[in-house]
Amino acid sequence: MDNVSKVYGLLWALREVRLEVAAGEWVALLGPNGAGKTTLLRLLAALAYPTDGVIELFGRKLSYGNSPLRGMIGFLASGAHLYDNLTVGENLRFFASLYRGETAAEERAEALNDVGLQEKAGEYVSALSLGMRCRLAIAKWRLVNPRLLLVDEPYGSLDSSGVDMLNRFLESLCAAGGIVVLATHDIPRVLERCSRAVILNRGRIVFDENRRDPWDSFHAAFDALDSPGLPFGRA
Amino acid sequence: MTDVLRQVYWLLWKDLLLEARRRDNLLSMFFFGLSLLFLFSFAFEISADNVSRMAPGLLWLAFMFSGTLALGQLFQGDRENDCLDALLLAPLDRGAYYLAKVLFNFSLMLLLEIFILPLFGILFRLDFWHLLPEVLLYTLLGTLGFCVVGVLFAAVTLRARARALLLPVLIFPLMIPVILGTVRTLEIILGAGAPQDLVPWFRLLVGFDLIFITAGFLLLEWVLDG
Repeated sequence: MDNVSKVYGLLWALREVRLEVAAGEWVALLGPNGAGKTTLLRLLAALAYPTDGVIELFGRKLSYGNSPLRGMIGFLASGAHLYDNLTVGENLRFFASLYRGETAAEERAEALNDVGLQEKAGEYVSALSLGMRCRLAIAKWRLVNPRLLLVDEPYGSLDSSGVDMLNRFLESLCAAGGIVVLATHDIPRVLERCSRAVILNRGRIVFDENRRDPWDSFHAAFDALDSPGLPFGRA
Repeated sequence: MTDVLRQVYWLLWKDLLLEARRRDNLLSMFFFGLSLLFLFSFAFEISADNVSRMAPGLLWLAFMFSGTLALGQLFQGDRENDCLDALLLAPLDRGAYYLAKVLFNFSLMLLLEIFILPLFGILFRLDFWHLLPEVLLYTLLGTLGFCVVGVLFAAVTLRARARALLLPVLIFPLMIPVILGTVRTLEIILGAGAPQDLVPWFRLLVGFDLIFITAGFLLLEWVLDG
């Protein structure tokens, strides 16, 4: 991302953001509510246009509409992006078909088995808890295997085994050369695993460092955030 | 092209499955169409002399108003749980999405027409069964025209706050040629005109359908991602 800004009406959601991520990196995107984390993820997913600046993925400028890059991007949004009136199995089959064409029933069953939902394949998504929906979303992206996975606040709805399962999946994705960008408020949990931490505040990157142990400079930067709150300023 | 067809198949599969489980579009269309037909049959003095002139217009009013109800709800299933974002995120040909929605809307309209047409014949004492192939041909051409314009503008108004109000305002003027063409051809078939007059209206309907289906296929990307 080079000098990317995003303005909603009179609000700067992101302001002159520069971010370069290498293959295999797991970036933790942190910051208070309204800092611009979800906006940044939506821009990377090409679900929103930047007001200014350029976004490139895998050496190609991110364009909108029918782009070959779309097949490489995943967005794991906790609880969302699933049809309530389709069953677990049907949701998996439908979304996998958009990325890969028809998938084998065994492959889908295995993906459900991996996230502990094999017994729920015939149940409607509307009957699932938020945690189970999140597990289903993980199964979906396991099946699709994107090169860039954007993850929005996944830890809140998952139990400890679900968190472990998600972390293992994200680590395997990075080990295979993929990129993970994960926005969360669960700082201790993500700092244990990520390879890089980025703090956003009021639409700007105020901290960006690779893994350190301990994360002293990170904690100092986070503590120094001035009155966390909504982005402000006039376009 | 095979990718587009495959995507159309899966999107249509999803929409039909959701509709089969919810049935809200279909039921509201049926009851609204039925109410309109009853209302028209009681409100208008229709005799054997004027039935072929009046009945097609009334029939198409019922189709159009009921169809507009369904168009207003066309993207509702995809809006819930931000599923539309999930679709836009996928490597989905936007043209395929448009075609799938047209086919889905066309299927709903077809079911409505299968239900309404016999009732219409009974209520208006219209014996058109020997003319059924012609009636069906022009009704289907008109229905397709309704769907190709309607789906495109349902997508245009997708993110508008007052989309329920905006949609009819946008589509009704654009649908004048297709409504006019279908009503006029049905009048001719029912005996209120010379058969040779069918040809220009047939060309108009086919041309209209082709132009809008091409425009919708190509433009949906700009409408959704723009």
